[in-house]
Amino acid sequence: MSLAEKPRHGYALLKDIEALSNGRVQMSTGTLYGALRRLLEDMWIERFEQEDTSREKQAYKLTTAGRRQLQLELDRMRHLTRTGTARLRAREA
Amino acid sequence: MRRAYEILLRLYPRDFRALFTAEMLTAFDGSGMEHRVKGRARYFRFALKELISVVMGVAAEWMAKLTTDSSLRGRSLPDRVMMRPPGVSWEAHYGRAALQGTKNGLPSEVMQAQRRTELLVERMVHAIAHHDFEGARTYSYEERKARAKLQLLREKHKCSSDISQPA
Repeated sequence: MSLAEKPRHGYALLKDIEALSNGRVQMSTGTLYGALRRLLEDMWIERFEQEDTSREKQAYKLTTAGRRQLQLELDRMRHLTRTGTARLRAREA
Repeated sequence: MRRAYEILLRLYPRDFRALFTAEMLTAFDGSGMEHRVKGRARYFRFALKELISVVMGVAAEWMAKLTTDSSLRGRSLPDRVMMRPPGVSWEAHYGRAALQGTKNGLPSEVMQAQRRTELLVERMVHAIAHHDFEGARTYSYEERKARAKLQLLREKHKCSSDISQPA
């Protein structure tokens, strides 16, 4: 989700994930790069090539397949929250 | 702490290291700097968490590497010839690779001629093995022509010969 907006490199991803979760999720580099590796293999993200990109600051961006997958996941979560809210309301009524 | 982190990164599989080590160190340095200004205790907690996560990551990566078919998951080392070094533009790097395009520094036309010769020898051997003597004669004729062309190309590019002549 962090890559939906724009391409980011590892450290920027760590910061953005922390901001997105209001400081609840503080990812470690080991976890982040393991996840990036899997996302790269599934072709949901790809390396974002820039002229001035060094190996230390490689940026990643969402692929079309990744964007589609994110959309599906967001739809699933939306459905889940809607169902949850409806059940809560039914119990309260 | 950074030294310990660097040492632990060496435990990752080679392909993972080739892709991510430099980036991981940069991210570790960035986060480390941020935690350092918040105090020693915060930095120590951060570093400990990082070290533990690397140990767990190493185990996970080795498990994934050993249990996943490389043809499916592409967990192989990247082709270093095709890897673009930092600071070199796409055009310059791949233009050079396309011009040379070789494993051992031979010009591409020599490589192509060499491959064709080897292929024709293989086909000739296959034809003989299957008693297709007519086909074997054709491949032999083609192979002689290809070898002569290869010789000319080698002389043109001043390359040494490493394909053995047929008996």
